[in-house]
Amino acid sequence: MPGPGIPDAALAALETALNRYIALDPEGAARLARLQGRLICIELKGFASRIYLIPGTDGLQLFGSYEGEPDCLLRGSPLALARMGLAERKEDGLFAGEVEVEGDTRLAQDLGAFMAGLDVDWEEQLSRLVGDPIAHQVGEGLRSAGRWGRRSADTLTQDLKEYLQEEARLLPTDYEVQSFLDQVDTLRDDVERLAARIDRLRWRADAGSGADPGPDA
Amino acid sequence: MSEDNTTHFGFRKVPVGEKAGHVKAVFDSVASRYDLMNDLMSLGIHRLWKRQAVALSGVRRGQRVLDLAAGTGDLAQRFSGIVGPEGEVVMSDINAAMLGQGRSRLTDLGLVGNLRYTLANAEALPLVSDHFDCVTIGFGLRNVTHKQRALDEMYRVLRPGGRALILEFSHPTSTPLQKVYDLYSFNVLPALGKLVTDDAESYRYLAESIRMHPDQETLRAMMEGSGFERCDWLNLTGGIVAIHRGFKL
Repeated sequence: MPGPGIPDAALAALETALNRYIALDPEGAARLARLQGRLICIELKGFASRIYLIPGTDGLQLFGSYEGEPDCLLRGSPLALARMGLAERKEDGLFAGEVEVEGDTRLAQDLGAFMAGLDVDWEEQLSRLVGDPIAHQVGEGLRSAGRWGRRSADTLTQDLKEYLQEEARLLPTDYEVQSFLDQVDTLRDDVERLAARIDRLRWRADAGSGADPGPDA
Repeated sequence: MSEDNTTHFGFRKVPVGEKAGHVKAVFDSVASRYDLMNDLMSLGIHRLWKRQAVALSGVRRGQRVLDLAAGTGDLAQRFSGIVGPEGEVVMSDINAAMLGQGRSRLTDLGLVGNLRYTLANAEALPLVSDHFDCVTIGFGLRNVTHKQRALDEMYRVLRPGGRALILEFSHPTSTPLQKVYDLYSFNVLPALGKLVTDDAESYRYLAESIRMHPDQETLRAMMEGSGFERCDWLNLTGGIVAIHRGFKL
């Protein structure tokens, strides 16, 4: 029976979001139909997480676990995988050994081509799975490689933000942030006071030892 | 003994011959708002439970799936997308209103071709033996009058190597959760039912029938009684729901 991984609720939300994108592009969806029912496993290196993708006529199904051997296994860091999805030549990532592929390589390339054809803000999507800082790093990496176009904010981004803050409670609200910052301020002040006190004590100790000449003076 | 001639309908005892009629009345009453009600009742979690069931099914392209008590077709919808044009998904329900709802919903989604519909009693399936790779029944087994017969039928229509999945309300594993759950299902649920479908009784029945449903260990034993092997189960949401799985080997 399945072990822990990416929360199923997050995958369900990601699935809905992706399929909304896919629905906007009927031609892309038609390409997806060719891959229907194939089980593709993506393993995020360093996160011990797997995502199982099953393409269908009307979009992708995403699972955190799925019984049986995948037709194709892609293994790589989030950065390498994202690069593979975006590169004009998919082979780049494969030949550089950044992404390992087991099983049906053609399937992996078809999926990569399909994903690259979608106009999706991957950084935003990725941030829901691995957190903002890492997703941001990945995004920065891609930007510096000159393969990342700035995507304008749209209704989906707004939806995601609301979902993350209000429903999934993955992101803190303003009030929680403020309260946390206050605590940080208090802690910082305490530390500064403590440092000042230690300095003063050290100064006193030094002054004391200076006033009282040592035995060999 | 009159015991032999009655069965549970929620907490009430009804003659065996009448249970199906009572269950039919319940689902006729709630069919049109079944999905909405499920979302409200389970706070949307039933979608995650169903996803888990699909993940455990291991269904692949080209396979044949039977979805019993298919209701409005949440499971069948996913299976239809997975098995593809070479595969087959048979959606079955004993209730014409529910099956009709499911059929319209899936057809409206453009899902046709690999889907078939069968109005049938799970205790006597009008289907050939040794045919399906996977048989599922989601939130339906507790409404069946003779559960063992339904399990026998599920076993019969599976081909060797196939698996059965039973997604059903079960028994919470911790006492505090049990208490909260009882409070919720006997007080909040009927009120919600009244509000949404104007039918508190049907939802009272749902809550009661869940309590009368065999617990995890008992259901496992029943599956083994029908011939299933390697039976196990996965508790979801603290055992409020369990997915039972067994193989025909």
